[in-house]
Amino acid sequence: MKKTLRETLSYGDFVTAALYLALLIFGALMVRSATFGTRFAYLGNRQMFWAVLAFGAFSLAFLIPYEIWVEYSYLLYGLCVAVLLSMPVLGHYVGGHKSWLYIGPIGFEPSEFAKVAAALAGAAFIKELVGRAMGWREIGILSAIIGLPMLLTLLQPDFGTATTFIPLVAVALYLSFLPLTQIVKWCALGILTLMLLLALGWFTFLKPYQKDRIITFIHPTANTRGAGYQVNQARIAVGSGELLGKGLYSGTQNRLNFLPAPHTDFIFGVVAEETGFLGSLALLGLYLSLLLRFLSTASAARDSEGRFIVLCAFAVILYHVLINIGMVIGLVPTAGIPLPFLSYGGSFLVSMSLFVGLAANVRSRRYAQ
Amino acid sequence: MNGAQEPSLQNKIQFLQAILWVLFVVFALRLFYLQVIQGPYYRLLSENNYTRPTVLRAPRGMLLDRNGAVLCRNQVSFSLVLDTAKGGSLDQTLLSMQRILGLVMTKEEVQAALRRSPVPSLAVLARDIPTAWMQKVEANQDELKMLRIEMELRREYPFGPVASHALGYVGLLSPEEAQKLRVSDNDPFIEVGKSGVERTANALLMGKNGLRMAQVNSLGREVEDPTLKLPGVGIRREPIPGQTVHLTLDIQLQNILEQAFGEEHGSAVFMNPYTGDILAWVSLPNFDPNLFSGAIPASKWRELSEDPSHPLLDRPIQGVYPPGSTFKPFVALVGLEDGVLTPGTTFFCPGYWEFGGRVFHCWAKDGHGTVDLLKGLEDSCNVYFYHAGDRIGIQRMDKWAKFFGLGTKTGVDLPSEISGIFPSPAWKAKRHLGPWYPGDNLPVAIGQGYLTVTPLQLLSIYATLATGGERFQPKLLEGPPKLESSVAISPQTEAVLKQALELVVESGTGTACRIPGVAVCAKTGTAQVVAASAGRNSMSLPKDQRDHAWFAGFAPAGNPSVAFVVMVEHGGHGGDLAAKIAKAGLEYILLGKKPAQPDEGTKAAPEGQAPNQETPPNPDAPLKARLNPQEPPRLITARYGGGANPRGQP
Repeated sequence: MKKTLRETLSYGDFVTAALYLALLIFGALMVRSATFGTRFAYLGNRQMFWAVLAFGAFSLAFLIPYEIWVEYSYLLYGLCVAVLLSMPVLGHYVGGHKSWLYIGPIGFEPSEFAKVAAALAGAAFIKELVGRAMGWREIGILSAIIGLPMLLTLLQPDFGTATTFIPLVAVALYLSFLPLTQIVKWCALGILTLMLLLALGWFTFLKPYQKDRIITFIHPTANTRGAGYQVNQARIAVGSGELLGKGLYSGTQNRLNFLPAPHTDFIFGVVAEETGFLGSLALLGLYLSLLLRFLSTASAARDSEGRFIVLCAFAVILYHVLINIGMVIGLVPTAGIPLPFLSYGGSFLVSMSLFVGLAANVRSRRYAQ
Repeated sequence: MNGAQEPSLQNKIQFLQAILWVLFVVFALRLFYLQVIQGPYYRLLSENNYTRPTVLRAPRGMLLDRNGAVLCRNQVSFSLVLDTAKGGSLDQTLLSMQRILGLVMTKEEVQAALRRSPVPSLAVLARDIPTAWMQKVEANQDELKMLRIEMELRREYPFGPVASHALGYVGLLSPEEAQKLRVSDNDPFIEVGKSGVERTANALLMGKNGLRMAQVNSLGREVEDPTLKLPGVGIRREPIPGQTVHLTLDIQLQNILEQAFGEEHGSAVFMNPYTGDILAWVSLPNFDPNLFSGAIPASKWRELSEDPSHPLLDRPIQGVYPPGSTFKPFVALVGLEDGVLTPGTTFFCPGYWEFGGRVFHCWAKDGHGTVDLLKGLEDSCNVYFYHAGDRIGIQRMDKWAKFFGLGTKTGVDLPSEISGIFPSPAWKAKRHLGPWYPGDNLPVAIGQGYLTVTPLQLLSIYATLATGGERFQPKLLEGPPKLESSVAISPQTEAVLKQALELVVESGTGTACRIPGVAVCAKTGTAQVVAASAGRNSMSLPKDQRDHAWFAGFAPAGNPSVAFVVMVEHGGHGGDLAAKIAKAGLEYILLGKKPAQPDEGTKAAPEGQAPNQETPPNPDAPLKARLNPQEPPRLITARYGGGANPRGQP
């Protein structure tokens, strides 16, 4: 154990750790600004606490060799699935779905941890293949491993969080025997099918509020007092930040409550408003650097399970960043997907930290025997 | 497989790298577009979000009479405003309004109110509303969210209808007026003068609204956040209040005169001949200008404008009548000055004069016998003036007319003045009425025929006589006198005319105006309403066909400090009521005398109002103080420069 720790530290991925810390601190700061002077001001302090806790989780994921994580992954996975199964009984309603579990005064979202567990369980399955290329059967099993907690999350019914399992499936597909050209072809086909489904859904199963969101995405000023209000105000927040921003704690859209959910889903609006184009670009740069680092780790990883874990971290974080920032700047429709390391929330921060820690772990141990 | 990456995996990872970069560039470009290219636009939107301009209403200036009595002030009142920008159904709001407030309005009425408003989204539905409504509107905001209560400063006239035509009334600014006056405040409560002094002195009276930029949150609530210093917030432009305007009117004299009229209609104007200061401006029937400063209901408006007695008509400058016998002193003056007549010139009056195949009657059927100038004026002998007019001719009269303001507007500072006609050959030709016949001179010489005047024009003639030829522009606003024209009337002529006019009051047709100790110069007159034949007593006719009675003059004879005109519509001969009215006014002005019940009719102020801090607390208080007989009236001060009134006060 001592030897592995020394090994980890000697080849330690401190670049990832530094990027992570920068995001963590930036996030805690932004939550403070987003809640400053409101009745949610205490969340600013609480997020500091979560950040400390998340850093602990990161350290664990970083320092404990990932082989051990993979070894106990089925146990973690089983625990998560068991908790998710018990959610209809034990869960608490928050925001219309039973996704919260309370142990004493501390509440957390099991589905967030299930994501990590599913990624580890997937890695464990890939390890068992010992290098054999994945065929359709293996993809099917992997998808089932990931799909089970996803389905349980969907039943809560937390649609938004459930979609965050999709990147894991995508990773499984991506690492399969299929060549790149095939994958691109399949993706194109998938997107086409999705659009057709959407068109079909428009006339059948989509609920009015869901349709509203799509309309609002396409034409946000169509109804500035209704569904379009949030998107419109978010866009004003982003645009009015201009080049240099209005300064921390000085965003008017944020401070005077024009920006909806400023400390959770729309926190990027606060970033853009208060730190301007340069600040936003810096944040994007941090994400880009982290994700590029993950890709480099993926090619340097010493085994396929490590590679799978890193790509899972890559895919999950990319998905969140893409959907969340895309929503705030009006590139994708409104969806309740939080922004990693910035949006308020303990479970989410901890699970994202676990992913980053594991990715750094994989890189640090790329030469280990 | 460790370390040995198959090429397909490397490809896949490179592909992901490429995708990542593309996404980064797309997002960065999008941010650049929103924040840098469109940044100023969104900054403006965000500023509009958090700032709200609040109009700081400028109070309109007060109107004071010459002794400082408040004739018009501002009263805090509350109004019901419809704001269409709030969103919601107008039909629903109207139904709820009817149910909750009991206020019935049709959609058309509301739309008309919106069109009249200078702010297209706001309409003032009701002004000076009951306090109960305020609570009801607040309590039912869910249903009445398009409605709100606004405080405004409403015009209030404590004396009610007294002097209504001089003061005028105000109304809410219309979009057209807003354009004309270049008012662009977002305020539906700007009042502008629509008539009277309120209109002519509007520029002085109207203040300029101020503006305050408040910081509001997303709920539209004003928030003061010391941690947030925002550009544009806190800007405050103070309102500039309108100026207090001092009028030359004496409200007490005004009261006395209006009461003296009793139930009769007509007009009366009292003026300082040396300054043009108008001391009283009576036009009866009058109206209550307070009605207009609350939103005047359409029915009330119709009632006023369709009333056959025309209460909205400003009679002293909009009523045109033949001057009748009151014109004779002017004719005498022209005759004397141009050497056509002398005081000793006599004519014989058999009751008529046949001229050019027509018979011209004297009002005395049996005639006045041999009449000289003094007697002609004292007895108002028509035949005497037929002869005089024939000798003088229209050209001479035309030459003098302009010095007395005949045929031209006096230029008084009131809106919509019209002028009577002074006929001349040129005027007649222009009207295609044929050439001027010698016979045309005769009716003009007795103040009839084509000749017409407004009461104020007639007053101007007498004021000019009083000053010995100097004619001042009549005015209601305090200020330096303005000399309109000046002609030297010889002292002899002046003396003869004054003597004659004194005789009229002493022993002639105007004895009703005799005041012991004061030499009053005046002349009675009759303006025919229907062509009654000579000698017929018009008092036997139905009221609306009786002649109008004139009484015009000045006093005291030696040093005139006041000139006046009184006209009682359908008052029959001018010697009676019109003279009595003039006497009441002169007694007040010259002797400080008040009629028996001076309090009657002065307390027209609507009850139950909290006194305004800036105005004297009670409009009656200064009035009663001034009723103290010890205190001499202050208005006999001729303001004309040093030597013009050398004999001082009577």
